[in-house]
Amino acid sequence: MKWDESILRVASCWALAAIFAVGLLRLGVKLREFQVEDAADYRGAASRQSARRVRVPGLRGRILDRRGETLAESRLAACLVCDPAQFQRRRYEQTCAAIGDAARALGQALGRETVPSSNTVARHIHQLRAMPLVVWRGLDERELAVFAEHEADFPGFAVEEEEVRAYPCGPLAAQLLGYVGRDSGAGAAADGEKFHFYLPELRGRAGLETYYDSYLRGVPGERELTVDANSYTIRARAVEEPQRGLDLRLALDVRLQRVAEAQLAGLAGACVALDPRTGDVLAFASAPGYDPNDFVPRLDPARYRRLADDPAKPLLNRASGGAYAPGSTFKPLTALAGLSVGYPPGATYPCDGVYARSGLRLRCASRWGHGELDLRHALMKSCNPYFCNLATEIGTNALLRTARAFGLGAKTGLDLGVDMAGVVPDADWKARQYHERWFFGDLVQMSIGQGMLLVSPLQMARVAGALGTGYLVTPRLRADAPTERQKLPFREADLRVVREGMRMVVAGDGVSRGTGWRGGLDVPVPVSGKTGTAEVGAGARRRKNTWFVAYAPSDAPRIAVAMVVENGESGGGTAAPKVAAVLKRFFADEAEGGASS
Amino acid sequence: MKFLRRFDGLLFAAMLALVAVGTVTIYSAGHARAAAFFHGVWRSNLATAGFGLVLYFALAAFDYRKYLDFLSVPAYALSLVCLVAVLLVGEEVYGGKRWLWFFQPSEISKLGVITLLASLLGGRWFAWLDGFRGFLLTGALIGVPALLILAEPDLGTTLTLVPATVVILFVAGVWRKGLVTLLAVGGLAAVAVLGAVYEAEKPGVLPERRAQILRYVPLKPHQVKRVRVFLFPEEDLRGAGWNLRQAKLSIGSGGYAGKGIGKGELNHLKYLPPSISMNDFIFCVYAEETGFVGSVVLLTLFGLLLVSGCRVAAVATDERGRLLALGFSTLVFAHVYVNIAMSIGLVPITGLPLPFVSSGRTFLLTVMCGLGLIQSVSLHRE
Repeated sequence: MKWDESILRVASCWALAAIFAVGLLRLGVKLREFQVEDAADYRGAASRQSARRVRVPGLRGRILDRRGETLAESRLAACLVCDPAQFQRRRYEQTCAAIGDAARALGQALGRETVPSSNTVARHIHQLRAMPLVVWRGLDERELAVFAEHEADFPGFAVEEEEVRAYPCGPLAAQLLGYVGRDSGAGAAADGEKFHFYLPELRGRAGLETYYDSYLRGVPGERELTVDANSYTIRARAVEEPQRGLDLRLALDVRLQRVAEAQLAGLAGACVALDPRTGDVLAFASAPGYDPNDFVPRLDPARYRRLADDPAKPLLNRASGGAYAPGSTFKPLTALAGLSVGYPPGATYPCDGVYARSGLRLRCASRWGHGELDLRHALMKSCNPYFCNLATEIGTNALLRTARAFGLGAKTGLDLGVDMAGVVPDADWKARQYHERWFFGDLVQMSIGQGMLLVSPLQMARVAGALGTGYLVTPRLRADAPTERQKLPFREADLRVVREGMRMVVAGDGVSRGTGWRGGLDVPVPVSGKTGTAEVGAGARRRKNTWFVAYAPSDAPRIAVAMVVENGESGGGTAAPKVAAVLKRFFADEAEGGASS
Repeated sequence: MKFLRRFDGLLFAAMLALVAVGTVTIYSAGHARAAAFFHGVWRSNLATAGFGLVLYFALAAFDYRKYLDFLSVPAYALSLVCLVAVLLVGEEVYGGKRWLWFFQPSEISKLGVITLLASLLGGRWFAWLDGFRGFLLTGALIGVPALLILAEPDLGTTLTLVPATVVILFVAGVWRKGLVTLLAVGGLAAVAVLGAVYEAEKPGVLPERRAQILRYVPLKPHQVKRVRVFLFPEEDLRGAGWNLRQAKLSIGSGGYAGKGIGKGELNHLKYLPPSISMNDFIFCVYAEETGFVGSVVLLTLFGLLLVSGCRVAAVATDERGRLLALGFSTLVFAHVYVNIAMSIGLVPITGLPLPFVSSGRTFLLTVMCGLGLIQSVSLHRE
């Protein structure tokens, strides 16, 4: 018994050793499963839980004029950011307070009084703590120098670069270029998306910046953050560098644009210059304007309100979005409508200064009348009774057909969001709009470009060019957009008559001057054109919008211009000399380098 | 010289190696924390190990046969006093009163219980203690500190007393039949508790039904939670299941060769909560940084240590010495097994330290004293 017991005791020691060995072996086998067989899965899961993917936007492309001059570009501005991880405390309120205190201290050193509100900081720490918090934007040289000097005293702060949009030409072509905005702050991407965080990019908010937004926009890159268990970023690495967006080359000619805007300085109006062969928009001015740099780095709501509420409507792009009665600039189309249905160009009409029929009285520009006129002279003198009479002879349909053949009442196809169709009124339209039938007076009014007819300066530039070339082009702002043009459905002989009349508007008939004689002043090539003075409003608010449309050289036009000046004196007196200045500049540049054609 | 030849070099070398591993791992875990205090914990741990070595050699040099009886009774009595004191004046940390000033009485009580059992059951009173009577008396001697520790509450430490006690009683031959029966009953009870928690926590159980079942389960809510995490490790990963999930990710992502010492991602990024990464879950830090290779090294070191302990027990010429060596070896094994097994989800999470590796000075000294006693058993035999 005693012997057995001692054997048992010794044996139990070794048995226990065996049990220990088996236990440790069991652990080893299980650990092998974890660390060898399934290691890749665990490693993947571990890195997934600490990885945050950030979408980093690329810089936006530039907008250039036809010669390569920069109209809009993205620059890098210094901003001061704070790394929340450096301020990590046990409770997130403490973290927010630590950031606030540090920012105030740094603000004192930099001379910046405002710091992000505690609300802003709290929201950032709550939702976006993995991302740096932008404390100040747009640091200047002095502030950067001060920060560089004291950087060691302010751990957790760093200078980062941020994209800002700049418009080097200031207010030039402001409504055309538009402006950009940024969705407020960095955002957390929605579930199921590739990225955890989303840095907003600049987005076009108006003009070309909007229309060509996807073209200009950069290609986003990717950054991967490694966050700790509390979602603070410990380190970051670039996975894919973002790329700059494409540059948008415009057909616009900055030099011509400058002249056009200078002519409109202090006025309200618009000027569009086109190449009638290609549709290239050479100048696209709208006055009054604004400086899009005022919207950088961000759109200030008060300033925007002021612009939006301004009765002069500086935000309105009058060039393609302004709705004007064309006035007498419509008369070449009335003339062509007549010719197309066989109205003889030699037929004369005795103008006695007033057109009266069926209880309608319409005065002519010449108080005592022009006397006997044929079609060409009627254009030259812009005789109202002549065209009223002509319209009554040919009827409404011929007039409508002609207006529509020249693209009136329809969008021009311009590559811009603002592309007003205007109105070419007919009986249906009037019935829908006013619940009235089509009167004889509507036809007469339309024949001289008044009444319900509404056009944009862009449409009229296109009309002028089409009259000169016989082709209606689709205007294009982007230089490498394809040229689209349509042959006009009119006989060449008829067009020639109208062109002769439009040439006489500027050049006269050898005996007397045409109404638009100033449109050819100092222009080295023959100019053809048509004046217009459209009366709008009634009574005390009656005012005149003055027009001049032109193309030059008369025999083979390379430029077509439409200019409208609100509250002018007369088309010939107010608008024509301004058009002449634009034309003069165009042909001077052409002679100098030939670069514009 | 003959005396020195009986010095168990392997037991000692394995211990030193484990202290080294522990110091490096505590260094790494400490540096993942922001507070500078934790950066220096490895140093105080090393100093404690130095003090532990002094105790180790003192206990080893003297003949345990002479001092054990005089040591065990005061040690047991002192640990009882401390255990009562900690309940009265102890500091409450993480919902438990475990700290009396600078030490944990429950750790010292392990020393007291094992030495007392060894000296009682291996000594001259054994004949009187045989059979059911002995079982009742020893049961009472263990039961008092066990209940006091349970009251802290510290279920884990209480349970680690069980295997050491069972081994001592079994080898000493106290009422073996009853012991085996009791173990079987205990095992069945544990399975029943697990089953009940499973029934209560499985998906789709109505709250009323869950509460009804849990009323009959003798566990506190946080213990139920731990059992639930053990049973359903993929549930509630952001809440109760977070620690186990992160422990598994740490160990698994360590891979074959590990990420390098000081480069444990989950440790440094605090996915492994810093409050547990230096103590109960330090194996995760070690396994992430040293990989499977490191795990095997650690298990091997513990294996050498434990087998040496058993060998000392086997060759001991004195019954008390045998029981001492087996008792402390079992104590160490229980800690090692439960600690690593809970990190990989083999057993429910219990707050047990990993000997030598977890930072914790009281426990380190306890274990080193225990090993010093084993060494003394090895040295004093003829």
